[in-house]
Amino acid sequence: MSENRLVAYKCKKCGAIVYPKRFLCSSCRGRDFEEYPLGGEGKVLTYTKLWAIPEGIEQLPLTLAIIEFDGKVRVTGQVLSEEVKTGDRVRPVWGHIRKVRGKEIQGFRFELIS
Amino acid sequence: MTKFGRHDDKTLIDLMVESSLRALEDAGASEKNVDAVYAASMLAGELNNRVAIGSALVDQLALIPAAADRVENGPASGGSAIKNAYCGIACGMYDTVLVTGGEKMRHVPGETITDYIATMTNIEAEYVHGVTLPSLAGMLTRLYMERYGLTEEDLARVAVKNHLNGSKNPYAHIQQPIALEGIYGSPEAEVNNPMIADPIRMYHCCPVTDGAASVLLCATEKAKEFTDTPIRIAGIGQATDKMAVQDRKDPAVLEALRVSAAQAFKMSKTTPQDMSLAELHDAFTILEIVESEDAGFFKKGAGSKALRDGVTALEGRLPINPSGGLKARGHPVGATGVAQVVELTWQLRGEADKRQVKNAKRGFSCNLGGFANNILAFVLERS
Repeated sequence: MSENRLVAYKCKKCGAIVYPKRFLCSSCRGRDFEEYPLGGEGKVLTYTKLWAIPEGIEQLPLTLAIIEFDGKVRVTGQVLSEEVKTGDRVRPVWGHIRKVRGKEIQGFRFELIS
Repeated sequence: MTKFGRHDDKTLIDLMVESSLRALEDAGASEKNVDAVYAASMLAGELNNRVAIGSALVDQLALIPAAADRVENGPASGGSAIKNAYCGIACGMYDTVLVTGGEKMRHVPGETITDYIATMTNIEAEYVHGVTLPSLAGMLTRLYMERYGLTEEDLARVAVKNHLNGSKNPYAHIQQPIALEGIYGSPEAEVNNPMIADPIRMYHCCPVTDGAASVLLCATEKAKEFTDTPIRIAGIGQATDKMAVQDRKDPAVLEALRVSAAQAFKMSKTTPQDMSLAELHDAFTILEIVESEDAGFFKKGAGSKALRDGVTALEGRLPINPSGGLKARGHPVGATGVAQVVELTWQLRGEADKRQVKNAKRGFSCNLGGFANNILAFVLERS
């Protein structure tokens, strides 16, 4: 994973896509994966606007969504808009996510494709 | 069990001792009877600065040298402790085992509790992005609304029903009935019932609660030594699902409940239709509806209609959460799975007073760990 692209992992044995990385493929128990760059856009499966935000988040409300890529793999993350709806198309953008016990966490968030 | 609520003047161990003594006295058991103690808690270390609470409890109860363990399985800690006790007896290692679940949480700020609880999600896939348990409930609720036509009124009706039941339970945290218009569809509802994780609001979430609950389990052939009305654990199931909601085959299905409930029904040679009542894990009101379907009581998508038709009310065909559930009885996390079995026991003995389900013969409970990634199911019956 780098800040250039959102990468999932493809099982070399059965082709299943997983995200984030795991030790064993949950379909075939294979252990070898190759990088599988996710396409430029995903689709919102469901979302929430969180008003009771946890420590280390500044944004109120925090929009969170489960996003489907290629109909094959899902990614959970923040959406940078309150205007999101189910089925909307979003693209990953790198940036600050939150602090966990004071430690800065960076990663992919999602912006709406208009 | 102890009364559930706020207990500023008691420690976690005080609560667990009080609850344990009540169970032992109820069974007429003495220290000679107890071979092992299972103490369930999710956050004893994080919120109470105590670990190894099995050792603390067995010492305070003067039960040394009985075996003692702490069991931690998130919000399913209580259910897991009962299962472990059952297995210890079934394998012949112990005759009699005390199970006590407890949690003391109300002295800690809400956002700190929410953050500790959120650490039971998938850390890399969920937690680091700000995911909390209410946010997962919000996303499940939206899926249900869009797919099955569930409404905000349905969510509010679960709360109204469970608060009414809780008003008849002297052990409940909240013993006050609420009116539908107080939390839904009125100007005051907007004030009383703020948004927590859109589309779920405050009254769609359980409160933060202190308390403890206990059961004494023994081998079937020993039960008559303690009571003329033993209640039998006829079936137990436990199953897991993908840690992260995003990774589940269908995020709107509690597959771990389908599997664990089927195991419990099979073991007890019963079906969902044989149950007189059910205690479900309504940490969020959406969960009561989804569980009532995935446990097998109603078809997928039909749970909210059953609720609206009064099927799950105290006087209905299948009363759900006569205790008030997590919504009104409260949710001292590690105590909940045990408190559900305590309620079934009282109901099956006919001791539930104003909330007694008529002619209760068999009861079902389910205790959810994580956001439904580790679930315990139980069938209890009058023997």
